[in-house]
Amino acid sequence: MTDVPIPADLWSADDVAAISAWLYDDGDSVQAGAVIAEIMVEKSSYELIAPATGKLQIVVPAEAVVTQGQVAGRIE
Amino acid sequence: MSSPEPPAAARRLTIARAISEAIGQEMARDPSVLVMGEDIAKLGGVFGTTTGLLDRFGPERVRDAPISETAFIGAAVGLAAAGMRPIVELMFVDFFGVCMDAIYNLAAKQCYFSGGQVTCPMVLMTSVGGGYGDAGQHSQCLYATFGHLPGMKVVIPSNAHDAKGLMLAAIRDPNPVIFMYHKALQGMGWLGTVQRSITDAPEGDYIVPIGEAACVREGDDMTIVGLGLSVHHALDAAKSLAAQGISAEVIDLRTVAPLDRVTIRASVRKTGRLLVVDDDYLSYGIGAEIIASVCEDPTITLRARPIRIAHPDIPVPFTPVMEHFVLPDAAKVVAAATILMETDR
Repeated sequence: MTDVPIPADLWSADDVAAISAWLYDDGDSVQAGAVIAEIMVEKSSYELIAPATGKLQIVVPAEAVVTQGQVAGRIE
Repeated sequence: MSSPEPPAAARRLTIARAISEAIGQEMARDPSVLVMGEDIAKLGGVFGTTTGLLDRFGPERVRDAPISETAFIGAAVGLAAAGMRPIVELMFVDFFGVCMDAIYNLAAKQCYFSGGQVTCPMVLMTSVGGGYGDAGQHSQCLYATFGHLPGMKVVIPSNAHDAKGLMLAAIRDPNPVIFMYHKALQGMGWLGTVQRSITDAPEGDYIVPIGEAACVREGDDMTIVGLGLSVHHALDAAKSLAAQGISAEVIDLRTVAPLDRVTIRASVRKTGRLLVVDDDYLSYGIGAEIIASVCEDPTITLRARPIRIAHPDIPVPFTPVMEHFVLPDAAKVVAAATILMETDR
């Protein structure tokens, strides 16, 4: 089981970030290195990359606000 | 031994990313392609359609314009006449009023007036649709307004795969193409996102031909025609209808003009029932054109009177309760489909 954390160093911690879209459904198999979600921060978009290959478990749903380092999903 | 699950696509794209990727690939291939619009350079487009292009191609070819649609869209018509392939973004289709002369009198007629000697290979991409409380000047569709005027092609994708292929086709087309994208399908979060619009799309070069609708679900009892977001209402409804034993075929228009009457008629010839789902204004609209096109065909026998769902002939309401009351959704499609099945002749 590998955690998928929200990146901690791409934007200022004061900015509000939210997952704009998951590109895969809960339970889909994903490949390491694939873009699996997009994160919107102050009208700019960032990519969430799969850190491992396996089955995706979505922890934080789309459109929810996230904080840096928060576990957004897991891959097993 | 159980069979393994089919592997998920190696990558998936939102429509916004697919549009950006198509433009970037074509800019790399063809030095005559350039992009202009409001907030399209540094920001990457308020709907994400030009993400990353400024960094790759620089401010000469990816140019932020002031709030001056008349000027930069007029300039695009001239650039196209001079051999460039400009892509311009009209941030909301609702803003067409100030720049329509450049679009329908100049761009749309350049080829015709010059006897084919001067073409107009420009793409005007523009956001359409509501559903997120942005009121009557930021929520319109206007498919029929543009589809009505000769000399322009009008396309709208329902998913990322088609978005990329249609954009590549649009840029290469010698005619002006109005490339519409629905805000609710952009994958921008705050506008809502339909998961089904996020699809795989080949990294390489491919075309979705302009003028060809797609059958996205096969069925025997009725034909439901949609475009952009309403394709997803139709697909959601078809799933519910299947549970009631009703088999609905769903056609994704993909192109508004020229309309693919062949595909629509072939489907209704088979099913005998027609329902059109449109989020543009009702009167003189997409539904009217499609129903008329089917009724004009002497080889089609209808088993029930056709039905169209559309936005009523009023400005798009601001308050969400009122807006969702008038916008189409899957439940309204199911209700209309149920009426279609009640009559048989």
